[in-house]
Amino acid sequence: MAYNKRPTSSYQPCDTFFVEPYDDFPVPRMDPKEHAKLIARERQYAIADQLSRIASEEYREDVLSHMLDMDASTLPDVESIDIQTEIQWFMRPYLLDFLIEAHTAFQLLPSTLFLTANLLDRYCSKRVVYKRHYQLVGCAALLIAAKYGDKKDRVPTIRELKSMCCSLYDDDMFIQMEWHVLQTLGWTIGHPTVDSFLQMAVLDTPYDPEVEHLALYIAEISLFHREFVSRPSSDLARASLALARCILNRPQPRHTEWASQYDSMTLVSLSQQLHQPSQVLSRKYSSSHYSRVSKILEQFLARQASIASYTPPSPPSNVASAESKPYEGEIGLATPQKAPHPSNLPHGYITPPITPENEGFTNGNNAGFVKTVQMSNACSPSPTPSPSVQYMAPNPFQQEPAYVAQQQYLQPQMSFTTGY
Amino acid sequence: MTSSKFPQLQHTATTSSFLDIAATLVSPKSFLFNAHCTTAPPLLPPQRSPTMDKAQQPSSFQQLEKLGEGTYATVFKGRNRQTGELVALKEIHLDSEEGTPSTAIREISLMKELKHESIVSLYDVIHTENKLMLVFEYMDKDLKKYMDTRGDRGQLDQATIKSFMHQLMNGIAFCHENRVLHRDLKPQNLLINKKGQLKLGDFGLARAFGIPVNTFSNEVVTLWYRAPDVLLGSRTYNTSIDIWSAGCIMAELYTGRPLFPGTTNEDQLQKIFRLMGTPSERSWPGISQLPEYRANPHVYATQDLGHILPQIDPLGLDLLNRMLQLRPEMRISAHDALQHPWFQDLPQLQAQLQQQQQQQQQQLGASGYGGMMPPQQAY
Repeated sequence: MAYNKRPTSSYQPCDTFFVEPYDDFPVPRMDPKEHAKLIARERQYAIADQLSRIASEEYREDVLSHMLDMDASTLPDVESIDIQTEIQWFMRPYLLDFLIEAHTAFQLLPSTLFLTANLLDRYCSKRVVYKRHYQLVGCAALLIAAKYGDKKDRVPTIRELKSMCCSLYDDDMFIQMEWHVLQTLGWTIGHPTVDSFLQMAVLDTPYDPEVEHLALYIAEISLFHREFVSRPSSDLARASLALARCILNRPQPRHTEWASQYDSMTLVSLSQQLHQPSQVLSRKYSSSHYSRVSKILEQFLARQASIASYTPPSPPSNVASAESKPYEGEIGLATPQKAPHPSNLPHGYITPPITPENEGFTNGNNAGFVKTVQMSNACSPSPTPSPSVQYMAPNPFQQEPAYVAQQQYLQPQMSFTTGY
Repeated sequence: MTSSKFPQLQHTATTSSFLDIAATLVSPKSFLFNAHCTTAPPLLPPQRSPTMDKAQQPSSFQQLEKLGEGTYATVFKGRNRQTGELVALKEIHLDSEEGTPSTAIREISLMKELKHESIVSLYDVIHTENKLMLVFEYMDKDLKKYMDTRGDRGQLDQATIKSFMHQLMNGIAFCHENRVLHRDLKPQNLLINKKGQLKLGDFGLARAFGIPVNTFSNEVVTLWYRAPDVLLGSRTYNTSIDIWSAGCIMAELYTGRPLFPGTTNEDQLQKIFRLMGTPSERSWPGISQLPEYRANPHVYATQDLGHILPQIDPLGLDLLNRMLQLRPEMRISAHDALQHPWFQDLPQLQAQLQQQQQQQQQQLGASGYGGMMPPQQAY
């Protein structure tokens, strides 16, 4: 049911920090009392869902427009960060890894991570930050974000933060930096996060944890890249969601309202950053609490790569007789191990982003790719001029409608030419 | 990615990564941090907001008498030394252990977002060594004191009640539209000025909610104004929590006494059920699943609120009943409440009120009172 899991997903149990990530404890048998409790909780969520739907209907428009205003007025400025003398962009991923691990360890809300990054980047847009204080600013941002959004008992103590930083900073420094961040940002903390927009965008669709988790994963990957730092959270949320649906072969909802509109260029840029996510992040999302979406994404990318780099087993003239069997096997069995290293991928688009009209992708269970390849393989055996030009075309979205028609022969062309 | 470009900084992605990042980002030997935050000079020409910069010194305000004391703050009357303008100064003692309290972070950041005629304005935030001072628009009284000093044993007249309720619902609607729950509405937190304006104050328990609404603490709202679903342990309340409080306040405006003055959580629920009727799984599906639900030995029938509030007119009673619904999902929204027919004759009533006020002012002026005080001193 749509409601009974959503609230639980707010607080993810921590399983990546102090605990070994992959140990699957046998689930103990639940005693009746526990079971009754669980049912009671489920019913609670049902009530909550109903309540929240009422509030949503009533205030959704107003809340959304307020969130969009706040979003636009609380964005970091990358160009200001560019002129920082000591801290460099290459350092940021390390700090983010640290913050993600801390965020997971303290079991904070998903929103808190995005808010932390926002506060950090906004502070760095306004103040000179010394390299040796970069982590301190990150911790102060995390502290403020947690105090703003999380339950009191989850907010990290300064002692805990201090020990995470290996006592590099004194207690006092955390307090001073926290104050300084608040002051610098003029106490405007309520940046609406990607997560909050994501929750809003999926409100009308049936609960699909895989899509939500993958969208969240993609959104968190985007935190690592300069090009998204100044992007409005609402854009990132919708593009991540659309990309997640496209990767998971889910239909894009067709309504014309806010939630289903996304910027296709943002989607393309996001899709180009999926190949080497931070290890901390991919580990976080490999847990079952997040539907193991990092594995799903890896497999998807591997499949894409194998399609792109497939070399036919025999000369082109024989292809027709070799036909679809080996092809199917190759694709069907493609595993991350077998796949070429992600860096071998053409640094372009994963299969071109899909419009809602594209039927091939609404067929479900990933069969779309295999099917089109098979069919086309049979009917156009000879290699034709390089499609990579088209593939890398600056704006493939303009070609989308044409692409659907061309797909039948485009796919094999692509594989042949990259093989040569 | 960066790790390949900078192999010497290879990040191992283990729990020991804190060590790595520390080594990458911080050079402990050269580490110095001086106490005045000079380590972080402005990167750009200072672009501080004018409101936050006008008066950075606590000394720019003359501290007058104490107005009230809360759990985490003390409120003083103050006067701006430059302009002579009266302000309310809310002093928050900083917990040296854990830095700025989360209540202060939420209150300040939310109030900065909420600029509305029915919400007290936050002018400035001043920080000194061990305290944080919030400078608010000055309001003469809170609703509690207003009722005590005015009206017949705390009861107010129809026109004032309607005007106050309209402003209250207006303020609540604005909060909810801007995704903020107040979570502590009570007469002490509603402030009245000489113009007869009512404004929401004290956002210390307020917080932003998402859509869909998340789960929250149920340790919110002063007991007497706490909604039954929250009393029953629900953590999934939303905007309806503020509406229940508003309903309790409305009844109190009529009687001058709190509607449900409970002493404990249990007692509070008893008092509510005695009047509103004991809910059952039939009248409130899901109630037995709430954590604090006890199969109740006393089953009370629903009372007519009109018996307790003989002064209330049928339309007002209808609105009150819609606000005091036990089931949160049945409670009217602030938005809809503003459209309620009870408020239809408000413009006429307000015109009357103004006339009355003017008359009072003239009387006061005649009595030679007005020289020192602003003329609208009395209501």
